Amino acid sequence: MKARRFNFPLFGKGILFLVLLVFSVYQPGVSSATDVNVDCDIQSGGCQKQINVRTIHLEILPRPVKAMTDLTFQVKISGDSLSEAPFIDLGMPGMKMGPNRVTLKKNGAATYEGQGVIVRCKSGKTIWQATVTLPDIGSVVFTFDVVY
Amino acid sequence: MLSTSSIYILFFTTGVTIGFGHCIGMCGPIVLSLSLNLKGAPSVWPHLFYNSGRTLTYGLLGAIAGGMASFTRFAESIDGLQKGVMVAAGVIIILMGLGMTGWVRTSVIFRAAPPVGTFLTRIFKQLLQEKKHPLMYLPLGLLLGLLPCGPVYTALLAAARSGMEADTTLGGVLSGAGLMLCFGLGTIPALFLVSRLTDLRWLRYREKVYQLGGVLMMVIGLYFIWQGLQY
Repeated sequence: MKARRFNFPLFGKGILFLVLLVFSVYQPGVSSATDVNVDCDIQSGGCQKQINVRTIHLEILPRPVKAMTDLTFQVKISGDSLSEAPFIDLGMPGMKMGPNRVTLKKNGAATYEGQGVIVRCKSGKTIWQATVTLPDIGSVVFTFDVVY
Repeated sequence: MLSTSSIYILFFTTGVTIGFGHCIGMCGPIVLSLSLNLKGAPSVWPHLFYNSGRTLTYGLLGAIAGGMASFTRFAESIDGLQKGVMVAAGVIIILMGLGMTGWVRTSVIFRAAPPVGTFLTRIFKQLLQEKKHPLMYLPLGLLLGLLPCGPVYTALLAAARSGMEADTTLGGVLSGAGLMLCFGLGTIPALFLVSRLTDLRWLRYREKVYQLGGVLMMVIGLYFIWQGLQY
């Protein structure tokens, strides 16, 4: 009797198909609200964080902070004035949403302001991150909930 | 400041990374459904047509966003339409799933379905038939390109910004369309790879898989309808 040979390519394709099936249902990269630490209550007011000795204060207006609406991002920075304007990158934790940068312009001694939009994700997840970068100094991440 | 060609290249590469990092997870179920619906027929052309349709819709959306030069105004105007497309996508996937299981005959589905216009009915019939014309996946791609999607919104935001920076409305229309076409083209490799991996022609006993796939498609379709109603 002829022994049947194990079909490796077929087995490989089968495994790939199963992996893809799991991927399509599981939706990798979509973080649940429970595994992301929301550290900023942006709906109640501004939030503060530190980079070295500087205090970074972020506020988003108008409130409630709603996705798909025009928003004003305000950043107040303590300490000496910056040589370059800071900027904000918006994104979702664990999910690639494409580059969404808010450029800030000086609006007062230590205040910078810019316009931006937080887009809506089909997954229904409402947790977003704003990464405030001070060129040549560093960046800090604010994680908050938005309203859809 | 980026040069014009650099912006288009940036949008293409963004599309590529978004394709592998986001679309595989979010649009994978659609591609899987389309592959299963082919029931072993060659899948290269249908998926190329589907992706072309999707990319053309992105280009059209980019043109409108660029012309309007305001993302929020544009998003507001297509909000209801996108909700409808999500529900419609769910219905299409369920119908394809039903057709694939063989539990309900295509003619019965169409007798029960409301008259939605001869052209649309013809497309639906083609999609549910055993032998499908690959070109039928183009209108499907055009329609499904309207599905709400975070990275597409982000790209449209940039398209609207390019419209703001353009000297004329026509300039905004062209730059918005160009950016979104590049973005759409960039997303094709990932979804095309998914379609190749879900092509089941290599499987010898695939009839049972198709029946199971039909049920899976109905679940996916219901999920889309539920998401559309929640949106």
